[in-house]
Amino acid sequence: MLATETRTTFNYEKEIERWTEFTNAIKGPELGSNNTPRKLVWKKNKATLWHYAPEEKKYDIPVFIIYSLFNTPSILDFAPGSSVMEGLVNNGYDVYLLDWGIAGYEDKELNIENYIADYISKAVKRALRHSRAEEVSVIGYCLGGTFAAMYAAIAEEPIRNLIVATVPIDFSVSVLPDKWEEELKNNGFNADRLIEVYGVIPPAYVEAMFRSVTAPIYNSPYVNLLARANDKVFVEKWKRMNKWNSGHVPLTGGAFRQLTNDLFKENKLVKGEFTIHGQKVDLGKITANMLVVSSKNDTLIPAGQSLPIMDLVSSKDKTYLSVEAGHVSLAMTGKLNGILEDWLGEHSQ
Amino acid sequence: MTGSKIYDPYEAWKKWMNSWEKQANDALQIWTNSSDYVKFSQGANDFQLRYLEMFQKNQQLLLNQLQLPTKQDLANATKLSIQAEEKLEALEEEFWNVEDSIESANKKLDRLTAASRNISKQIKQLKTEQEQDKKELQKIDEIHFELIELKRELAGMNSLKEEIASLKALLAENNVNKERELVPLSK
Repeated sequence: MLATETRTTFNYEKEIERWTEFTNAIKGPELGSNNTPRKLVWKKNKATLWHYAPEEKKYDIPVFIIYSLFNTPSILDFAPGSSVMEGLVNNGYDVYLLDWGIAGYEDKELNIENYIADYISKAVKRALRHSRAEEVSVIGYCLGGTFAAMYAAIAEEPIRNLIVATVPIDFSVSVLPDKWEEELKNNGFNADRLIEVYGVIPPAYVEAMFRSVTAPIYNSPYVNLLARANDKVFVEKWKRMNKWNSGHVPLTGGAFRQLTNDLFKENKLVKGEFTIHGQKVDLGKITANMLVVSSKNDTLIPAGQSLPIMDLVSSKDKTYLSVEAGHVSLAMTGKLNGILEDWLGEHSQ
Repeated sequence: MTGSKIYDPYEAWKKWMNSWEKQANDALQIWTNSSDYVKFSQGANDFQLRYLEMFQKNQQLLLNQLQLPTKQDLANATKLSIQAEEKLEALEEEFWNVEDSIESANKKLDRLTAASRNISKQIKQLKTEQEQDKKELQKIDEIHFELIELKRELAGMNSLKEEIASLKALLAENNVNKERELVPLSK
């Protein structure tokens, strides 16, 4: 019979190292982000269009990436080996990323319509011109996916493939506690008043919104860091994640108003009532090859918010994938890379 | 036989903290999931907004008195630069259109040049052919002239033939006459 004896050991040096690493990780210098080499192609107001050139180009159709408005897109270039950008570039794609930048008070009136018609549409035109390509593949992550779908529905530019990951489309499916949702839909929460006073919603407010929905008490990252502070690889990943996590950006009042009123309250996108500069956004007009990716452990965007797009689009070639990942870990761990490598490779020939 | 396992207090603490955090968050969500809480937070929010608005107005008033730009003034100035940027962008797009038209005109011109090159090549070929034809025509003319000469010579020869024939006839007539003259003599 095997008897197990449990011992407790105390290693003074290891403990000193643990606490030093822990303190350094919290207060020490930040790790650089955006590891994959890139070049600026276009700049408009705070937005920047970046080009990630492949060493060896294998596909003629470039990839255009749209990220959410709530945080920086650096999560897509998280770390060497698991970066979405690096993966696409190594697979031979010309990659273009539209980085929204950090909105200022002067941008308070910018709304979703402006972001799509005046930024995405123009940036895609620039990417097509820059790459001298005739078609483009559009990838949207989180709210960037909603924007990508809206854009694809009204786009004049030729879109071969549309990929949306962890995308909110049907806002009638909510992750909010039911009473919050009820009050929000019955005008118990007045977003207009908040926008009127703030103009641009501060990052702390944006972070608080997400925290209140997912985990208001959020000590676990620090607990995990202290428990694994001797693991250098873990500490490096933790620092990158912590930097991204605390990198929420201000949200323009115009966009927040449309998000709250048109999408959360009235669910206009699914109903086909959302308009961009007077033009109706009809998802049925999307005919591009389509891939929708949901994360099984996503506490922010459940699969039910993404799935309806499958029935709303007219694409003949459409695929839905549900992946064992979280809202952020889908991009961060490189799982999205594998999916893109297979699906996009087949559809970019 | 005895196996030994090192007890990691941090791991145990981590497990306990994570489980506590989950329970605390769940409890918080249950506690806040009520109309009363939402109304209270809306009230608190309204209060904070009213206070902030008042602060903003006071700040604006003070800055106006001090003849200093307010946040709105700075935003307006920035908007002007954004508008200028948009105008430049529109110009750039116009420039693209011009560039595209020049490119397409250049392509047409290239096609036209290629066609005209082809035509000039054909003209050259025609010219060469014409030169050759001219030379051949000259040769034909020469042959024609020679033929006329030959014809003339032949005509000359024909008249000679006729003269010979008439001479022959005369000679024959002479012979007949001589024979006639000789016949009476012989009788």
